Formats: sequence, C-alpha cells, structure tokens
Amino acid sequence: MKLFAIIQLTFRESLARKTFIAFFGLSTLVNLLFLFALNLDIVDGAESYISLFGKEIDQAFELEKIVYGIESVVAVGLFTGGVFMSLFATSSLIPAFLEKGSIDLLISKPLSRFTILAGRYLGAVAIVAFNVFYLVGFSWLILSFKTGVWNFGFLLSGVMIVLTYAILYALMAFLGVTIRSGPFSLMITYAILFFSPLLLQREAIYALLSGKFWGYLLDFLYHFLPKTTELGNITRMLVQHADIGSWLPVLTSLLFGALMLGAASMIFKRKDF
Amino acid sequence: MYVVETDNLTKYYSRGKIKALEDFTLQVEKGKIFSLLGPNGAGKTTLIKVLLGIVFPTRGSARILGEDISNPGAHSRIGYLAENHRFPEFLTANQVLFYYGKMSGVEPALLKERIPQLLKLVKLENWGDTKIRKFSKGMMQRMGLAQALSNDPDLLFLDEPTDGIDPVGRREIRDLLKNLRDRGKTIFLNSHLLSEVERVSDEVAILKNGRLLQKGTVEDMVSVKQQFTLQLAEGYDLLQALCAELALPLVSQNGSFIVSVRDDAQLNHLIDKLRERQALIRGIVPRKITLEDFFIEVVEEKEVAAP
Ligand SMILES: Nc1ncnc2c1ncn2[C@@H]1O[C@H](COP(=O)(O)OP(=O)(O)OP(=O)(O)O)[C@@H](O)[C@H]1O
Ligand SMILES: [Mg+2]
Repeated sequence: MKLFAIIQLTFRESLARKTFIAFFGLSTLVNLLFLFALNLDIVDGAESYISLFGKEIDQAFELEKIVYGIESVVAVGLFTGGVFMSLFATSSLIPAFLEKGSIDLLISKPLSRFTILAGRYLGAVAIVAFNVFYLVGFSWLILSFKTGVWNFGFLLSGVMIVLTYAILYALMAFLGVTIRSGPFSLMITYAILFFSPLLLQREAIYALLSGKFWGYLLDFLYHFLPKTTELGNITRMLVQHADIGSWLPVLTSLLFGALMLGAASMIFKRKDF
Repeated sequence: MYVVETDNLTKYYSRGKIKALEDFTLQVEKGKIFSLLGPNGAGKTTLIKVLLGIVFPTRGSARILGEDISNPGAHSRIGYLAENHRFPEFLTANQVLFYYGKMSGVEPALLKERIPQLLKLVKLENWGDTKIRKFSKGMMQRMGLAQALSNDPDLLFLDEPTDGIDPVGRREIRDLLKNLRDRGKTIFLNSHLLSEVERVSDEVAILKNGRLLQKGTVEDMVSVKQQFTLQLAEGYDLLQALCAELALPLVSQNGSFIVSVRDDAQLNHLIDKLRERQALIRGIVPRKITLEDFFIEVVEEKEVAAP
C-alpha cells in the first residue's frame, strides 16, 4: 500500500503536466473521429454491402484488410509519436524527485530505497499505459463494433508500445539517477531512438569504416541497446497478423531494460542526498 | 533503552575533505525534548540525515527506536520535518497529508479522520483544499510540521521547525511540542533560536565542526556554578569589607552584587558574618546566564583552544 501511494503520487504528478493533457486530448480526438466521421457500417445484414466514407465495399476480405490498415496506422503512430511524447513528458520525473527536500522526505518513510525508485518508475509506466490503452482500447472497441472485425493483435500492439516505453524509461531512470538532469537523459534516450535504424542497417556502412574495431563496436551497440526499430516492426506485424520471424529483439531489449533498472537501483541504494 | 543512540558516528563528505561529523556519541532518552545547537555547518542536519538513512555514515553505528539505522522499519514510528522541505506543488494541503501519511503506512480511513485535526493543530484548517503552491513560507513550514505528525510518531525529528514562523505561531509550536512530550513522545530538535530552545528543551547538546562540545540540561548550562547574586537592603560597604577579608571575588551589577564562592560552606560562612553584623539580606539567587551567553562562550572558547 505504501508502494501504491508513490505510484499514485507519480501518476498525479504526470497528470498535472500539460504534455499528458495534450496526449489525452489527441487520443480523444482520434476516438471521436472513429466514432462519428468514419462511416463504416454494414448495411442490410449479412450478405450485403459495406460502405466506407460513402463508398461501397462488397468483400469481407477487403474489409478486414482495411480495418488492419487503419489499426496499424494508429499503432505505428502511437509507437513513434506516443513513445516520443511520453518520454518527453516523464523525463523530469526522476530528477525532480531526487531534489533536496523531496527525496529526504521519501527516505524518511518506512520504505526501502528500492521501493521508492520502483514506485516512481511504475508510476510513470502506469500513466503511459493508461494513455496508450485509452486510445488503443477505445478505438479497438469502436472499430470492432462497427465492422465486426475483432482484431486482438491491435490490443497486443498496445502492450508492445507500453513495453517499449518501459524499456526506454529504464534507461532514463538510470541516467536520471546518475546525472540527475532531465533534459540530458532525454537527449541520450532520443539519440538511441534515432540511431536504432542505423544500427539495424550497420552492414551497409561496414565498408565505410576505417577498421575492424568500429565494426565490432557497432555490433556490440546493436546487440546491447534496445532495438526500437524492430520493436516497431513487430508492433505493426502484431496488428496485421503477419508472421513475426523472431522475438529475439524483444527479449534482448527487455534484458537491456532490466539491466538499466538494476543498475539504477544499485546506484540509488548507495547515494547520499 | 534510549530512543536515539549513536556510537562514534562519523560522516565525511567529498572523499574526506569535509568532516561533517566526527566520532559523535550521544544518547537521547524517551519522552524528552532534545535540542541540538551549533553554528552553521556544524553538522546538525547531517546527524539527522545519517539517523534517517538519507546519507550513509563513514564510520560508527547508530540506532533509533532500538533499530539499526540501516533498517527503515522504525520509520513508521518517526516523523520528520526536513530543512527546506518541499512537497509536489500541484497538491492541496489535504492531498499532501493524505499521500505522505499513506507512505508512512497509515490506513486511508484513519488518515481521512486525522487530516482535519492535523490542519487545525497547525492553524491551517481553512486551507485544506488550497493548492500548496499558494502557501507562504510560514504556511509551508506549518504544513511540514503537520506532515511530520501525520503518523502520530513516537520520535519526531524537526530541523529548524520555527524557521519563517511568526512569534505567535512559534509559541503555539512550543506548546504543541511540550504537549507531545507530555504524551510520551520524544522530540529531536535542531535550532538556532536559542531563546526558544531554552524555553522548551529538557536537554541540549552543542555541536561544532562535527564534534560534540557540551551536553546537559538547560538548567546546567545556564546556571553558573558557585556564583550568587546578593541583594541587600543595606550594608553594601560591609559586604565589600567582608569579601575583601575572606578574599572572595565580588562584582557589582546594577544595584546587586555577584559573589563567587568556593562551596556552599563558604557561602553560608559569608552569610553568617553578614547577619552577625546586622546586614539586611533581601535575596540570594544562584546566578544564571542566558543559553545564548553560554552557547557563545562554549563555541568561541573552543575555537581559541583548538590548535
Ligand atoms: N551533500 C553534501 N556534500 C558535501 N558537503 C556537504 C553536504 N551536505 C552538507 N555538507 C557539509 O557538511 C557540513 C555540515 O553541514 P550540515 O548541513 O550538517 O550543517 P548544519 O549544522 O545543519 O548547518 P545549518 O545550521 O546551516 O543548517 C557543512 O560543512 C556542509 O558544507
Ligand atoms: Mg541544518
């Protein structure tokens, strides 16, 4: 219950930030669009035709493709924009609570230092999960009811998005505890996001490198850092029920997140405030 | 059992460059108001932080409420008002007390009941639904005090509790502390306001450069041993003559005389002599100084003595 109090407090603190209100507003807008503007109704029962924005579609197969298409646009948009925005909005949560006067108070409570950090981290993940599922959950319901195409892969993509955020936020927590600067942690995390596609394509630039060492370094970075590009692809494939070749990128990225969280709590445990 | 106990507690900052606490050994008894005095940078806040696990000791050990300081278990029975504390600004006074009380392990139902009482105690009863970003400095300080009391703690650490509080408020806080003590709570106080400390404390320790210089009751510190103020209705010349005869140091101070004696026997001897010669005594009072005088004396004297 004491842990829950920290999670609750962090949740509230995030809600007090404008970015999340903007996020929430945007999600509401998309949901309303699906609810009213997207006219995707089955007219005249089973063997009849379907109209989309007034145009008729007569094959159920095509309908499924269209729904998957719309849902993957939402999922990919949320994966890129949503994670980006969420990282931005939560970047100062860890450094802010480490400030003199607030951390003192938390440590004076009957909580282990691990619980304090975990509560803060989980609070941030909870608010992002709330936002992501507000959009994914409602748009899924609306689309499913309107078309009769119940795509559970879309819900799973929501899980992937939250997971990706959680992995990147573990890095932010680590940086926040060590450097105690929100903007700086954010810069590094964004850099990793941007370099992720490059690292995936590293074979293409091997020829440009001056020595073998750089090749090994890129290999190491690729394997060590979270593989956000591949996570994004998997998110899309989940929606489209495509064959996901390998779950390894998810596994290694999760490992990275766990490592960062472990390191963050080790450092936090020994720090003087 | 002592409520606070330290053994050679030592804390260095900046890899040993700053010696904030040095071989500090102290015991505080249950049910007392204990005050820690010392100039700026003496190590008062550091001591509280070490005791609460906010910083880690370089050497030595300590226990609070019988538990080693490395164990946060005792913290559910502790209240803490930090120096320059801050709460999330977007919360109202009620919310601050609710969340932080919950973190102390108080049941939400009990908290809901207790919050209005706490606000009343610190005279913020009309401010419960106001966001604390609108609070003045003194109101924030009252808020911090209410927060420290939210779990009805047995041991209260207050770092400069009356900082920024007006004189009437200070007296209310003094009364509150005494009241808590009378209910068996122990209060550990850091303060610069010596006149306040003098009025409220049972025991006082003076700290400087991380070392304990003095510890004792306020009474011990402010009474000057073997000095008495004599007030005579008449016969001052006689007193002067007698003191010269007995070789007792005598100074006059606004109409009365301060005499220094070796022991009680010598004092009584002097009085016998005065009475024999019909001097009319109005009063004999053991001499007292203010805690401030004593503090400055101790802190400065040790400065000269230090190499
Ligand atoms: N985090 C820190 N890092 C380095 N030095 C520190 C740190 N905190 C305190 N100090 C140093 O430790 C010494 C004791 O500081 P402390 O805050 O305990 O003093 P204090 O007695 O509470 O002073 P004040 O009356 O001004 O509140 C000071 O020399 C201070 O500079
Ligand atoms: Mg201090």
